[in-house]
Amino acid sequence: MTRPINWIVAGVVVIGALALTSMQADSMRSLQAAFLSVMGPILGVGSDFQRTVNAAAEPKKPTGDLRRDNEQLLEEVRTLRTTNALLRDLEVENNKLREALQYRERSVFKLIPARIISRDASAWWNTVKINRGFEDGIEPDHPVLTESGLIGKTTTVSKNISTVLLITDENCRVAAKVEGTREQGIVSGMRVQKGDAGELQLNFLTKGANLQAGQKIYSAGVGGVFPSGIPIGTVKSFRVRELDGQAIIEPAEDISRVEDVFVIVGVK
Amino acid sequence: MNRWILLAILIVLVFLTLALQEFIPPLAVFWGARILLVPVFFCFGALELPLLLMLILAVFTGLVSDLMILQVIGDRVEIALGWSIVAYVLMGSVLQGLRTIYLRGRWEIHAFGSAFCTIAILGGQFLMITARRIDEGGLVFDWIVLWRILVPGSVALLVSPLIYFGARSLGMCLEPRRGRAAYR
Repeated sequence: MTRPINWIVAGVVVIGALALTSMQADSMRSLQAAFLSVMGPILGVGSDFQRTVNAAAEPKKPTGDLRRDNEQLLEEVRTLRTTNALLRDLEVENNKLREALQYRERSVFKLIPARIISRDASAWWNTVKINRGFEDGIEPDHPVLTESGLIGKTTTVSKNISTVLLITDENCRVAAKVEGTREQGIVSGMRVQKGDAGELQLNFLTKGANLQAGQKIYSAGVGGVFPSGIPIGTVKSFRVRELDGQAIIEPAEDISRVEDVFVIVGVK
Repeated sequence: MNRWILLAILIVLVFLTLALQEFIPPLAVFWGARILLVPVFFCFGALELPLLLMLILAVFTGLVSDLMILQVIGDRVEIALGWSIVAYVLMGSVLQGLRTIYLRGRWEIHAFGSAFCTIAILGGQFLMITARRIDEGGLVFDWIVLWRILVPGSVALLVSPLIYFGARSLGMCLEPRRGRAAYR
């Protein structure tokens, strides 16, 4: 027979755990950040191992193909550098004109490259972990993107690992605008995603928005987290609901396959 | 094997499995259902260890599981730290009640216990999320939700005998006891 003292201990443990649930959100976030700092090296090793296995499984390219790819990439780098230099001149000119018109100066954002090291094993949340933390200047609520479009935002940030809440999660909400119209709404993920890549919903559109498939959706820059003009996705379908219009959006980036991302950490 | 050593081994296994789970891709054919192995190791411990050691394992498993999945968005926490501890303590206590039968050599208690724990944890998480988001997205229920709860439970059912017999071959299990000895 189990001694009654054991069940008293069990009761104390349950009461202690219930007390833990009433902790402040910031304290929980700090505890999680400390835990992720411990977990970081293990996840890093796991990620490196997974990459090595995936690379070994991929068919090897002949040397001739690699040389050709290298030449093409070098040419592309030269072209992009030249275009970038021209755009910098235009940016300076644009800011001067905006200043003359007393508009707020547009900022150039500082991007930190990061690698996705693991994907959330839970069934109900869409998050990933990246190999950058507060040591790299990352803070909670920093936008995360790729060259194709928006990925999500950081939530918990530890020393060298951060959790990114993906735009396919219901909790990640982005103010969005529709290309070529004055329509604005809120993009969020869905609680239960049917597909692997995920779909988004754009809510609070006007009933007469009548969006067409293929129209592009960009961040509106409202709310202070996501800057304006980042591609989010394209419209798949539109329907009128009782109070508003709703569009289903295909994300600009197939999030299930993304490996490398950028975090916007501030202005240059 | 000394029960304290088994507890230490299980704590390390739970910690490593938590990291390993992150690298197991979702099962696309089952609508993105995930494979969860932590409850399988916990249930093994809950049946092998006496109540006090089970409580230590439950606190550790619940705490690290919560810290791994904790979602803090702004000032809002989706499922607060501590709920998994409560869940593991309750499920561990139920399994302690079945320990006498388990100690007679009924390994299937571990298999069904693992499936039950996995289903209860995922179902509990879904209910808590639903309750928290009821004002925003309303009540969402789809048969995909059922897949995502039942498939990990079925996987736990299938995997647990491997863990039980693997542990047994390594001398980590209590020897089956017959008759009145099982009640002591």
